[in-house]
Amino acid sequence: MTLINATFTIERMLAAPPGRVFAAYSSLEAKMAWFKAPADIETLDRDFDFRVGGKERFHARWPDGKVTDFQAAYHDIVENERIVLVYDMFQNDEKLSVSLQTLEFRAVEGEKTRLIHTEQGSYFTGGAEAVKGREHGTTWHVDNLVALIEGRQARAFA
Amino acid sequence: MLQYQPLDVAFQALSDPGRRAMVERLSQGPASVSELARPLPMTLSAVVQHLQVLEAAGLVKSQKVGRVRTCSLEIGAIARIEGWIAERRRFWDQQYDQLEAYLAETAPQEPDR
Repeated sequence: MTLINATFTIERMLAAPPGRVFAAYSSLEAKMAWFKAPADIETLDRDFDFRVGGKERFHARWPDGKVTDFQAAYHDIVENERIVLVYDMFQNDEKLSVSLQTLEFRAVEGEKTRLIHTEQGSYFTGGAEAVKGREHGTTWHVDNLVALIEGRQARAFA
Repeated sequence: MLQYQPLDVAFQALSDPGRRAMVERLSQGPASVSELARPLPMTLSAVVQHLQVLEAAGLVKSQKVGRVRTCSLEIGAIARIEGWIAERRRFWDQQYDQLEAYLAETAPQEPDR
């Protein structure tokens, strides 16, 4: 079992006031219009209960057969200001990670919003995955690790 | 911005050419401590010290069976996880591209001021 803790942030300047950005998160209809997988996927389960203590789920099968499961719980909601959620991410029934995601909506002059997405996660891999990973050849992993260390993008994982 | 504490440690561990040579050797398969030391111009105790640094960085693990300590590379799992994290970040970035498009599509005709 391997564990890595990592934090990343994403900042976006959005051309809409915080009220409209918050609205894009707070109803299933609005959220489904943008929070979606890029490929044609089959939705196995979709739940959405936007309130503190409420849950969200997006369980889907991808064209390549992979099944992903996003299971979130809302921990803090301040209208037009912030949303804090914790989500588990599963792939083919294996838990990949547990993440604390904090979304801040800051009003910027000119009807704009600075979106600040901070994500603190614990990422796991079980024994079976680690063994499977080794079958790909460790030299390849060395290349990837060096690429990551040097700040380049790792090649896509097959 | 991306913070990987494990990568900082890994980077430090790999900054030494002797340790890199050991990682390269182990990328071909597991080896005993004395096998690792043989081609290197350093003492066995120096090799053991370097191994401790690599182990602390999570790059190498070792197991003692009888009197022989066998070392193997451990970075496969770490590299996979790093890949997932990079993928996760890309995923959210992509969602925000879609959020931007959605906000543009649903923008009121007259900007409300």
